[in-house]
Amino acid sequence: MPKETLRQVAIYGKGGIGKSTTTQNLTAGLAELGKEIMVVGCDPKADSTRLLLGGLAQKTVLDTIRDEGEDIELTTILKNGFKGIRCVESGGPEPGVGCAGRGIITSIGTLERLEAYAEDLDYVFYDVLGDVVCGGFAMPIREGKAKEIYIVASGEMMSLYAANNISKGIQKYANKGGARLGGIICNSRNVDRELDLLRAFSKELGTQLIHFVPRDNVVQRAEIRRKTVIEYDPQAAQAQEYRDLAKHIDENDMFVIPKPMASERLEEILIEYGLMDGLVDDYKI
Amino acid sequence: MSKLNLDLPEVAIRETRLGSITGYCGSAKELVGHARCGKLKEGNHQFNQTIGCSVAQAICTVVMIQDAAVISHGPIGCLGCLHEFDFTYQQNGDLRGVANPTQRKLFSTDIEEKDTIYGGSQKLRTAIKEVYEKVDPKVIFVATTCAVGIIGDDVESITDEMADELGIPVIGIYCEGFRSKIWTTGFDAGYHAIARKLIKAPEKKQEDRVNVINFWGSDVFGKWFKELGLKPNYVTPYSTVEQLSRSSEAIASVQICATLGSYLGAALEQKYGVPEIKTSAPYGIPQTDRWFRELGKITHKEAEVEDFLKIQKEEWLPQIAKIRKKLEGKTAYVTGGASHGHSLVAILSELGMKAVGAAIFHHDPLYDNESVEADALAHVVEDYGDVPHYNVCNKQEYQLVNSLNKVRPDVLLARHGGMTLWGAKLGIPSLLIGDEHYSMGYEGIVRYGKRLIEVIENDEFVKNFSKHAMNPYTKWWLEQESGKLLGGKQNG
Repeated sequence: MPKETLRQVAIYGKGGIGKSTTTQNLTAGLAELGKEIMVVGCDPKADSTRLLLGGLAQKTVLDTIRDEGEDIELTTILKNGFKGIRCVESGGPEPGVGCAGRGIITSIGTLERLEAYAEDLDYVFYDVLGDVVCGGFAMPIREGKAKEIYIVASGEMMSLYAANNISKGIQKYANKGGARLGGIICNSRNVDRELDLLRAFSKELGTQLIHFVPRDNVVQRAEIRRKTVIEYDPQAAQAQEYRDLAKHIDENDMFVIPKPMASERLEEILIEYGLMDGLVDDYKI
Repeated sequence: MSKLNLDLPEVAIRETRLGSITGYCGSAKELVGHARCGKLKEGNHQFNQTIGCSVAQAICTVVMIQDAAVISHGPIGCLGCLHEFDFTYQQNGDLRGVANPTQRKLFSTDIEEKDTIYGGSQKLRTAIKEVYEKVDPKVIFVATTCAVGIIGDDVESITDEMADELGIPVIGIYCEGFRSKIWTTGFDAGYHAIARKLIKAPEKKQEDRVNVINFWGSDVFGKWFKELGLKPNYVTPYSTVEQLSRSSEAIASVQICATLGSYLGAALEQKYGVPEIKTSAPYGIPQTDRWFRELGKITHKEAEVEDFLKIQKEEWLPQIAKIRKKLEGKTAYVTGGASHGHSLVAILSELGMKAVGAAIFHHDPLYDNESVEADALAHVVEDYGDVPHYNVCNKQEYQLVNSLNKVRPDVLLARHGGMTLWGAKLGIPSLLIGDEHYSMGYEGIVRYGKRLIEVIENDEFVKNFSKHAMNPYTKWWLEQESGKLLGGKQNG
């Protein structure tokens, strides 16, 4: 039985925005604070725990079930990574076949049955595929699962569109259950006036910008070595940024039902912060 | 195998929870000997002719609660054959003192193509509301199906939400057919739901109340328990939501079949401390004695039990001896579920007959109470000896016909409709008795024996019938080993 104070957190955001990188660096920060953490990768690509484990060392839950049947041991699918963070990859079918959504339902069900939600855990993080495309991808924010959701975004227009859309999904679940938005994490892409834009966007959603993570190539250098920044270069300024993010999340007490905006209003904000102006000559990805 | 987890919405399936199997050919003794040595190897079914879906077993556990309604959340066909529960309910009401059995309240959300795309949540909410308004139930169960399991409808949240809105329990039963090959997982899913959300914490122990986990058999427990100063609380058919929700207040639980009641018996013991009679059900003399003595011990009625058994023996033993003379040496083949099928072997052994073979629908090496005492087949082998040609076979008719044709018994015994026709086609007199309680205890041996004599003596019809019957199986198949298509040692 997990303890009452267990915090279950789901991280959403546009594909490619850096959810997995952020989640792993942030949980590394929480682990430094002495927290017991499980990270559950809910993406069929199964790359949510690579930096914590030092490589794709993990056999996914669904591959294991396929090869060995449902009668499996927890130790086969749960590996300890950086500072004892427990890592699980849900996995899924290869692209174009089967049903990845059902895969998430099955693998989270398996984790529950195998009592992965242990008594000593302080946090469970779900790193979820870009959009909540079907019932299965909403599994992590169902009743009894993640009550806290953070959206990773940047100043780029499409990432804010996605964040707004995800908020619509959260609103739907929040009205019935306990899912709440804990804040927006900015994973900076060095867009002009990004901080102001993200602050305004978060405010409009009724939430907060919980931390602005600046862009720093040390992240990429750490990634190529299959490490989080905190492990690769603990003294780096970026490592401190992730520690700050971890601290902000650990101390967060602002959980809201988001107020997603109409696309007109979203575009107004983008124009106000100058994104539209520079679109013709200065827009880069 | 571990403690039951009633916090999770879904029950763990039998394959992983109990290590149960559906395919085996050998002898009963060998199966009992291997059951708890490591893990039983499931037969590698290379051909399946027929198979049930656990949805039926799940719904079976709840649809006959007098004031319950059941919604099958899925395509309409998933509910296709389940109207038979209405028939059963109407037919057996008299046995339980239900004089005017009401129509069973069974509905479907009728999930269609577009619902699998947009989700069936709204349809389910509307259905729950409509059923509540239409039939005024005291509880609504929602049984899931494959379609809604795959699209991931959040039935747990919807049922919780509707329970708050309507003020009655609305309870999800997670019994998607694809989850388990063993249809008795459906029983576990139904009882899991009942134990999680219907049974309340006890307010006051009822010192004479004993839960009887059963189907819809005759009221033998009422009669017996009266002699002992006890009262049965029949669970779940013909019970009311009120009675059922107070099952936690009983002083013990018994079950008529360990494979049926395994989960609920263990759940009541683990969650509410209601002790379960572990030894298997009272069929055959030694097992009846063991069962009553354990009941006496748990309910502190040891002296009453000894008096009761003494009277039983005086009354029935002479009659059993008389019937035995007529049946001595006859051979029988048994088909039935575990563990009722095992119990039938005990009965016919008491009658001096020889079980020459059996096709039992699945095998659980151990039940949820983890007590070896609950293994009915082990008791049978120990009390009466081995059963050769013992098949674990989930109603695969091609296997049944193959075995039956080889052993050619004097009589075929069954508990499920549709099985005895194969006896008739081969000219073998067959007895189908659906009432599991019919053959229990001392008097049950006499009752069953008398019916058997009638059946064996009146064989004219089946003998004639077999002369005109067409057998769909080829001579080639009938000459093969019955387990040929199960792989493993059977194939060698």
